[in-house]
Amino acid sequence: MDFNLTEEQKILQKTARDFLGAECPSAFVREMETDEKGYTSELWNKMAELGWMALVIPEEYEGVGGTLLDLTIMLEEMGGACLPGPFFPTAVSCLGIMEAGDEGQMKEFLPRIGAGELILTLALTEPLNTRYDPFLIATRAERKEDHYVINGTKLFVPDAHVADDFICVARTSGEPGSKEGITLFLVDSKSSGIQLTPMKTFAGDKQFEVVFDAVKVPEGNILGQLNQGGIHLEPILQKAAVCKCAEMVGGAQKVLDMATEYAKEREQFGRPIGSFQAVQHHCSNMLMDIEGGRFITYKAAWMLSRNIPCAKQVATAKAWVSEAYKRVAGLGHQVLGATGYMIEHDMTLYSRRAKLAEVAFGDANFHREAVAFELGL
Amino acid sequence: MDFGYTEEEEKFRERLAEFLDKNLTEEIARQNWEDLGVGPEAREFSLKLAANGFLGLSWPKEYGGQGLPPTYDFILLDELGKRWGAHVPLDIGYTMVGPTILRRGSEELKREFLPKIVDGEIEFCLGYTEPNAGSDLASMQMRAVEGDDCFIVNGQKTFNTECHYSEYHWLAVRTDPSPDIPKYKGISLFIVDMDSPGITVRPLWTMSGERTNEVYYDDVKVPKKRMIGEKNRGFYYMMEALGSERNQVFVPGRLMPILGDLVQYVKDTEYNGKPLSEDPLIRHRLAQAAIELEVAGLLADHSRWLESNELPMSYEPEITKVFTSELEQRLVDVGMQILGLYGQLTEDSKWAPLRGRISWYFLHSFMTTIGAGTSEVGRSVIAQRGLGLPRAY
Repeated sequence: MDFNLTEEQKILQKTARDFLGAECPSAFVREMETDEKGYTSELWNKMAELGWMALVIPEEYEGVGGTLLDLTIMLEEMGGACLPGPFFPTAVSCLGIMEAGDEGQMKEFLPRIGAGELILTLALTEPLNTRYDPFLIATRAERKEDHYVINGTKLFVPDAHVADDFICVARTSGEPGSKEGITLFLVDSKSSGIQLTPMKTFAGDKQFEVVFDAVKVPEGNILGQLNQGGIHLEPILQKAAVCKCAEMVGGAQKVLDMATEYAKEREQFGRPIGSFQAVQHHCSNMLMDIEGGRFITYKAAWMLSRNIPCAKQVATAKAWVSEAYKRVAGLGHQVLGATGYMIEHDMTLYSRRAKLAEVAFGDANFHREAVAFELGL
Repeated sequence: MDFGYTEEEEKFRERLAEFLDKNLTEEIARQNWEDLGVGPEAREFSLKLAANGFLGLSWPKEYGGQGLPPTYDFILLDELGKRWGAHVPLDIGYTMVGPTILRRGSEELKREFLPKIVDGEIEFCLGYTEPNAGSDLASMQMRAVEGDDCFIVNGQKTFNTECHYSEYHWLAVRTDPSPDIPKYKGISLFIVDMDSPGITVRPLWTMSGERTNEVYYDDVKVPKKRMIGEKNRGFYYMMEALGSERNQVFVPGRLMPILGDLVQYVKDTEYNGKPLSEDPLIRHRLAQAAIELEVAGLLADHSRWLESNELPMSYEPEITKVFTSELEQRLVDVGMQILGLYGQLTEDSKWAPLRGRISWYFLHSFMTTIGAGTSEVGRSVIAQRGLGLPRAY
């Protein structure tokens, strides 16, 4: 048992915190909410220079060779800073290629992702998904000679407008709902027949409807095995869920920091409101939620990093952290009072993102069902 | 970061599990968890635990221990907990008193008491709470007046749970009543023989059938050499022991058999021709309990890890305490909802499901957020120590 970060991880954490504190202040985050692109190439390139996009890529593909746990430590800081832009979808896609890609695809994609030259995103959700269900895929990919033709509509695709490639989850056989018959495709975003429509959210992030209308994709762009996409997806989505948890833990910690600072300074009835038990108990509830969330996120990431089966821990993490962050955001607002409700207060950055993250990669209801299954129910 | 156990620790766990499966009977576990009094069976089990080398692993060799890290004692608590054994049979001495004697006691006291604790031979009862000193423990009034070779003690304690079967009272009393000093600066700790003349123990019965006690002292003589450390420093010793006590008393693993029983029950029980386990509401509530149990385990692992590595603990064990005790209530509530009408039946009732255990735990669970410090005090401790918020009182 060891709850310590390694020296390298501590350096990574501090570098990320210092860099994001300087380069990604809340004013910038707010500016990017209304910016069409949603991030700046300048910031992206600086992050690439620090090697962040290469963090989990193996050294043989010009990466840093870090673990998923390293990535979660980085993402925690990014969540704390509400970092805008396509880092998260690119990282998830990168993990997807590492999971399912062949040698050629690894050589083609990983070094360029690591260098910050490629932006990728995962096109998963569809109109059929009135609830999160990664196997309810109706988008079809049909074989025509040496290529496939993809038809279908994807929703909630993050940063599709700046992505160079999509990982498109499509059905090559079987019916929606079946884990069998799904195939992952790497699709060049410039292919003809792809149409983007922004999906405006209250967090000002950039998500899109992506329509694939007879999009031609070479056979060689299949990621992993034909019809085995469902099997490839499972570990990819487990890692994505844990990565999302890390972002949420970072955000929740920032909310607690703001609330605590305010409770110490703000005086009513002639004393700091933080000396009142009602306010203290809100703050300690937040701390309990966050510590539990951080440890279960680290544990799931640690198990994934070591290839220890951990479906239960991953589901536990996403179920717990999704609701914990929501509670923390609610209590943060309560402690900060009317001032925290004003749109220019940083608190509003976090409460809006907490809701988005809660429903990404399965909410608590989805993951509770997974835990029930793991309990043998 | 490492969330696993070493090979040696796992081997120890296996050896221990084998021993417990064979020796920890239902009767022994009950004597523990219901606080009815450690009977001959549990006493014998305690000696056997020691004889097989499962007690005192993290205690120093010179006092009968094995000098290993505290992790081994935590494994012992986890494995007992998984089998309904709430704690080691004589746990006040083992988890609370012993460590303080080790830290603050005279060499003579160490030699007299520590080997007997490690050998599972003696038990202590806690003498802290008084009718007017509960959450505000430092306001205790029971008085010890220093004489030539002993202190003379007078006054009353209440809710002192183990006093009807322990050999010794671990007693906190006022030795400096001066109104000019802060209340916590006038308290000392003593070891008192429970058969000393002048001590009267009267039972108090709880809602769930546990026994606790009122204890009256009438001119009880306590030898000076039975004082722990320095006079008037007792409250400091109590506070410095608190983190470790919480780590050893609030063991999330103890809730595992409750969850396990409920999982089995919903698989075995049908409604409308289908097992209850197919009901989405039941699945979700049990899953949520399992999620919280996993989280509780990690919160506990974290503060145990701090203790095992001699790192400073402040608010962390308090988080374990508050979270685990409240989880127990939520878990038992889930159980009572699943059992429906049958939940009210007591153990000796013909139709009682799960041997009446959930029913008993339901009544018991009201205590968990009160005993050893209320959740309200706990949350203020967390806010003040963990977050640096100003004192509320």
